[in-house]
Amino acid sequence: MSRSAILILIGALAASAAAFAQAPSAEEILDRVDRNAVPGSKILVSEMTIHGRRESRTIRAKSWIEGEDKAFTEYLDPPRERGVKMLKLGDRLWTYSPDTDRAISISGHMLRQSVMGSDLSYEDMMEDRTLRDAYEARVAGDEAVGDRPCWVLELTAKSGDVAYPSRKSWVDKERFVVLKEERYAKSGKLLKTLEAGAVGRVQGRWLPFEAVFRDALKEGGGTEFRILSVAFDAPIPEALFTKASLRK
Amino acid sequence: MIRFLLKGVLRDRGRSLFPFLVAAAGTFLTVAFYGYFLGMMNNMIRSNANLRHGHLKVMTRAYARDAAQVPNDLALTGVGALMAELDREFPNMDWVARISFGGLLDVPDEEGETRIQAPVAGLAVDIRTAGSPEPGLFGLQKILVRGRLPRAPGELLMGDELALKLGLAVGDEATLIGSSMAGGLAMANFTVAGTIRFGIRAMDKTGLIADLADVRRALDMDDAAGEVLGLFKDGIYRQERIEAAALAFNDRYAGRKDEDLPVMQTLAEQPGMDILFVWIRAATPAIIFIFLLAMSLVMWNAGLVGTLRRYGEFGLRLAIGEAKGRVYRAMLAEALMVGFIGSAAGTVLGLGLSWYLQVHGIDVSSMLKNFAFPMETVLRSRITPFSFVIGFIPGLLASLIGTAIAGRAIYKRQTARLFKELES
Amino acid sequence: MIIPKLALRNMLGAGAKTWLNGAVLSMAFVTIIFAQGLYRGFDAEVSKTLIDAEYGGGQYWVEDYDPYDPFTLQDAHAVPAPPLRALIDAGRAAPILIVQGTLYPAGRVLPVAIKGIDPAQRQLSFPTNVLTASGDGIPALIGSRMAKSAGLAVGDTVTVRWRDVRGAFDAKDLEIVQVMTTTAQTIDEGQVWLPLATLREMAAMPGEATIVVLDRDASPVAAAAGWSFQGLDVLLKDIKDIIKGKTIGASVLYAILLFLAALAILNTQLLSIWRRRKEIGTMMAMGVTRGRVIGLFTFEGALNAVFAAVVGAVWGIPLLAYLAVRGLSMGANQGDSFGIAMSDTMYPSYSAGLVAGTTLLVFLITTIVSYLPARKISKLKPTEALQGRRA
Repeated sequence: MSRSAILILIGALAASAAAFAQAPSAEEILDRVDRNAVPGSKILVSEMTIHGRRESRTIRAKSWIEGEDKAFTEYLDPPRERGVKMLKLGDRLWTYSPDTDRAISISGHMLRQSVMGSDLSYEDMMEDRTLRDAYEARVAGDEAVGDRPCWVLELTAKSGDVAYPSRKSWVDKERFVVLKEERYAKSGKLLKTLEAGAVGRVQGRWLPFEAVFRDALKEGGGTEFRILSVAFDAPIPEALFTKASLRK
Repeated sequence: MIRFLLKGVLRDRGRSLFPFLVAAAGTFLTVAFYGYFLGMMNNMIRSNANLRHGHLKVMTRAYARDAAQVPNDLALTGVGALMAELDREFPNMDWVARISFGGLLDVPDEEGETRIQAPVAGLAVDIRTAGSPEPGLFGLQKILVRGRLPRAPGELLMGDELALKLGLAVGDEATLIGSSMAGGLAMANFTVAGTIRFGIRAMDKTGLIADLADVRRALDMDDAAGEVLGLFKDGIYRQERIEAAALAFNDRYAGRKDEDLPVMQTLAEQPGMDILFVWIRAATPAIIFIFLLAMSLVMWNAGLVGTLRRYGEFGLRLAIGEAKGRVYRAMLAEALMVGFIGSAAGTVLGLGLSWYLQVHGIDVSSMLKNFAFPMETVLRSRITPFSFVIGFIPGLLASLIGTAIAGRAIYKRQTARLFKELES
Repeated sequence: MIIPKLALRNMLGAGAKTWLNGAVLSMAFVTIIFAQGLYRGFDAEVSKTLIDAEYGGGQYWVEDYDPYDPFTLQDAHAVPAPPLRALIDAGRAAPILIVQGTLYPAGRVLPVAIKGIDPAQRQLSFPTNVLTASGDGIPALIGSRMAKSAGLAVGDTVTVRWRDVRGAFDAKDLEIVQVMTTTAQTIDEGQVWLPLATLREMAAMPGEATIVVLDRDASPVAAAAGWSFQGLDVLLKDIKDIIKGKTIGASVLYAILLFLAALAILNTQLLSIWRRRKEIGTMMAMGVTRGRVIGLFTFEGALNAVFAAVVGAVWGIPLLAYLAVRGLSMGANQGDSFGIAMSDTMYPSYSAGLVAGTTLLVFLITTIVSYLPARKISKLKPTEALQGRRA
C-alpha cells in the first residue's frame, strides 16, 4: 500500500461531526482535510488491486505511520510479495526483500518508477507535504458526488516543484473526506483521477474505505485501494522506524 | 577405344597429370569458394539469429506487437509444453526459451548499503542445463573477458564495461531490481561469475546474461518466457522450410482472437532483417557467376595449354596415317576423361574442406586482436546440393572446350608443321 | 633493356593464352577492387548516414549524460559552455535537448525520449525544418519505426507527458507533422523530435541542451567546462569494427580468386618454358647468364599482370565507375542490423590506395608464380636445352 494512497485516504477523514454551518474558507477546508491526514500515529491494513494487461493482482499490506515523516510497510500477500518491506524516513526510502536480504535505497530516478506496477510512483509515496503547504486553494463552488454534497476546491501549487501543479478536489461538506479528485498537468491537462467509494467511520473519524486511482491518459482499470482495518493513535515502537527493523 | 585412351591417361602421366591437377584444383577451388561464400552469407545472418531472433521465433501475439518494449507481462506461458511440442515437430532444430528484461542493478558497499545503481538490459538464457545450445550460440566462452561461465544458481555474466563502471569484480554480489511478470517488484541477488564483451557498445555498457532458471525465479516467470527461439542444429538458415513451418504453425491459431496465443515469426520478418536477405539474394548469384567465369577461363586455358604441348604427338600420329577426325575425337575423349577425373577429385576435395569448415569453422579471432565483434570471428562454409555440381560441370566443360579449340590446329596446320613441333 | 622488349614481344606473341590469362587476372583484379569498394562504400554510406542524421562532426555531451542510461537524462542538461555557445550562435553547432517523457498513443503507454532541435539547424540532415509548421498543437517529427510501433501517422495528435526541471508533471498534445524514413534507427526508435525552443519552454530549461552537435568539418573547441567531446572515431567505432570483420571474411574469397588466377599463370609459364627449351639453350649458348634467362621468363610472366591491369582497366573502369555513380539498388526498404543503418542502395567507393594495393598484390603474386617454374631453367644444361631435351 503506497503512502500516497494512505495520505489520500487519511487526508479525506472528517474531523468532527460538527459541520460548518456556513461556507468555510478554502484554507479551512484544506486544513480540516490535512489535520486528519497526519493525526499522530496509525496502523492500517490495506489492499491494492492493480489491473494489468493480462490479469489483475491484489496486494495486501500492513502499514505503521507516525506523523508525516515516518512510515513502515510490510507486504502480507500475495505469497511472492510477502515479507517485502518499505521504510520511509523523511526524504529517504528503502525497500527490503527477504529473498535478497538487502535494504535497497530508492532514490533519484528510481523514485519516479511505479510501485508494484500500480498507477503510483515511489515519489507519490514520498510526497509528505500537506495539501495546505503545497497548494493555494479556492472554493470554486459546490457539487454533489453521488448523494453527498461537496465543496469543489481548486488547488494551485505554491511552488514549481510540486508534481501536480493543480488539482480539483471534491470534499464532503459534512465529513471532510475527499470523495473525488482530479490532478492536472501544468498545461491543465487531466493526468490522474481519484474516486472514493464507501466512506465509513472509525474511532470517530470519517474515512473512505475504497478508492480508485486512474491514469487519465492511459486505458485500463486503474488501481483500486481498500482499507481493511485501521487503528488510530496506536502506540508504535520507535525501533520500528529504523533500517534494522527491515531485516526482522 | 575408351579403355585404350584411359590407359594412356593413367599411364602417361606426363601428358595427363598436369591437366588433371588443373582441373582438380579449379574444381576444388570452385566448390570451396562456393561453400565458403554461402557460409559467409550465412554468417551475416548467424549473429542475428543466434543473439536475437533465432531462425524462428515464437511469442504471444500481444508480445510480438510491442516486442521493442519487452513486455514481459505479456510473455508466453506453458513454455515447457510448447517447447516439447516444437521439439517433436522440428527434431532438427534446437528450441530455446529466452527472457529479455530491464532492471536496475544495485551494488552494495561493505555494510550492504546501496553504493551505486545502474540500469541494465538483461537476457535470460539457459546456460546451466547440460547440453544447452545457448553457451555455443552466444559463444560465451569466447567473449568471456574475466572469470568463467555461470555454474551455480544465482551467477551471471555482465558486460565488462558495465562491471568496470560499477566497480564489480568476479565473485562480487549485486541485487537486480526489476518487474515480475505480474508487474510486482522483483528483487534477486546475483553473483558475477564473469564479464563478457559483446562488441556492441550498448550491450557492453548495460548488458547482462543470466541463467534462465534464475531469472524465472527472480521475475516470477515460472514456465514462462518472452520468446522461444528455434535454430537449425547446424546453424544454417533455410528460408523455405522456415517459412513453411511458420505458416503451418500460425495456421493452427488462425481465426482466433486471443492475444495470448502464440505466433511464430521467421528471421526475415524481424525488424531490419529484410534488407540483409535482399542483399544476400542479390549478391550470391552475381559473385558466383564472376567466379565461375574466372574458373572456366582458367580451365579453358589449361585445356588449351595441355593440347598445345602435344602438337608434336599429333603430327606424328597424322604422319603415320591416323585420320584427323580420329585424332581430334581421341583428344576430346581424353580431355573429357581427364576433366571428369579431375573435376570429380576436385569436387570431393572441395566438399571435404567445405564440410570441415561447415562443422568446425576456422576461428580467426587470434588474427583480430582488439576486435570488438567476437561473433564474427569464426569463418564457416556451407554445403548445399548445388555444391556437388557447381564445380564439376564447369570443370568438365571448360577443359573440354579448351582442348577443342586448341585441337582445331590439327585441321588447320600442315602435318609437317605439327610434326616439327615434335622435334622442338 | 633487351629483356623487357623481348619479354613483351614474347608475351604478346603468345596469343590466346595471353588473352585468357589477361582475362582471368583482370577479373580477379576488378572483382577484388569492386568488392573492396563495396565494403568501403558500405562503410562510407553507413558512416555518412550516421554523421548526417546524428553525429555531425562529433558531439559534445553534457557531463553525466550517458546515452545508455536513460535515468541520467533527469540531470543531463545545462546551458552550453561559452565556446560551444559561440559555435551555436555562429550557426556552426546544433544544441539538442533531451527530456524523458511518456507518449500515450491511443491509451497505450510508450516511454520516449523527447528531443528538441532547432528547426533551422544545418548540422544534421533530417527534416527538422518541418518543425516550424505553425498549427495549434506542438509540431512533432518522428521516424517511421516509431510511427509504426506507436501506430501514428502524419496529422495524428498524441499526448505526451513529461516532467519539467523541477519535477512538475506536464502534458500536451503533439501533432505529428511528418514521419521521416531514415536508415538511422538511433534518431527514430523511442523518440519524438520537437522544436528546441518549445521543448526548452516545456521543460523550463531555457537555453539548455544535453548534447551539442558540431559542424561536419569542425574541430573540437579548446575547453568546454562541463562538456566532453565525443569524436567520430568514438561514435562510429561499432560500425567500423563490424565492417572490418566482414572485410576479413571476404579476403578469403580474394585469396581463392587470386589462387585461381595464379594457377592459370603457372600453367602458362610451365608450357612456355617447356616449349622454348631450344630458345633457352640458344640464349645460354650465346652467353646469356642463367639469371638473365630466368629474369626474362619471370618478367614475361609478370607482364601478364601488367597486361591484365590494362585489360582490367579497359572493361573495369567504365563498369566500376558506372556502378559507383548509379549504385547498386536492391529495391528494398531500409533496414538495420544491430542498429546499424543499412541502405538499399550501395555506392561502391574506390580509393587510389585500394587500386594500387590490389595491382601490387596481383603483380607480386604473378611474379612469384612466374618465377617458380622459371627456376627450372637453372637446372638446364645449355647443350641439352639446345637439343630440346627436358630438364
